[in-house]
Amino acid sequence: MNRKYELVYVVSPEASDEQVTELHTQIESTVQKMNGQIEKTENWGRRKLAYEIGRHKEGTYVLEVINGTGDLMKEIDRRLKVIDYVIRHLVVRVDEEQGVVERTKVRRTDTSRRRRVARGLPPDRQPGEGQRGDPDDDRDDRFDMGEELR
Amino acid sequence: MNGRKSFGGGGGGRGKSATGQQGKDGQRRPMFRRRKVCKFCSDKIDDINYKDVRMLMPFVPERAKVLPRRISGTCALHQRKLRTAIMRARQLALIPYTTE
Repeated sequence: MNRKYELVYVVSPEASDEQVTELHTQIESTVQKMNGQIEKTENWGRRKLAYEIGRHKEGTYVLEVINGTGDLMKEIDRRLKVIDYVIRHLVVRVDEEQGVVERTKVRRTDTSRRRRVARGLPPDRQPGEGQRGDPDDDRDDRFDMGEELR
Repeated sequence: MNGRKSFGGGGGGRGKSATGQQGKDGQRRPMFRRRKVCKFCSDKIDDINYKDVRMLMPFVPERAKVLPRRISGTCALHQRKLRTAIMRARQLALIPYTTE
C-alpha cells in the first residue's frame, strides 16, 4: 500500500553541504531499497530557527516528498533519529489531505459553473466581470482585536 | 487618511463610544461591528499548509499563541486545520512556541 508522505528535516548549521547531500543520498537509497520513490526534493537552504534547539540558532531545511509504505517511513524516521546532525525532522502523510483538497476544488468549480449556466452566463468568469468592493476595504479589520479583549 | 480610513477605524471607535454611553445613561444604541468572515472560506484557500509560514503568521500574534476563533472569525473547520498546521510548523521551529 503506497502512500504519499512529506518529510522535512533540519540539519545542524555546522554540517557541511557534502553532509547534507550525503544524507539525501542515504535517504534515497533507503527509499529505493524498500521500493518507494522520491517525488520531489526541495532544499530551503539555511533559515533562522524560531527558537533555539540545543544552542543552534539556524538550520538547513530539506523537504522530500516520498511515495512509499509506512514501514519505509518508519525506517527513515528511525535513521534520522540516530543521526546527530539532524536536529529536527517531521514526517507527515499527505495523500488523503490532498485528495480532499482536490475534491473540494472540483466541487466548487462545478457548482459555480452550473449556477452560472443556470443564470444564462458562460460557465467561466470573464475578465473584468463581477463587482469587487472597495479594494482597500477588503482586509483592513480582519485581524482587528475585538473589544472584548480590552 | 482621515477621509477613507475613518470609515473602517470609525466602526471600532463608534462601538467603543457606544458602550461608554451605555454605561452612562443606560441608552442602548445598536453597535456596529462588521461581521467577521473566515479568511480561508472567503479566499478559497483549501489546504492550510504547515510550510507556508507567511500564511500562518497572522494567526500567531506576539505571544505566539494561536489566535482564537472569536477574534479572527475563522470557521471551525479551518481553525482546526490551522491549529494542526501551526503545531507542525512549531515542531520544525518555523514558528515559535512562545516568546519570552
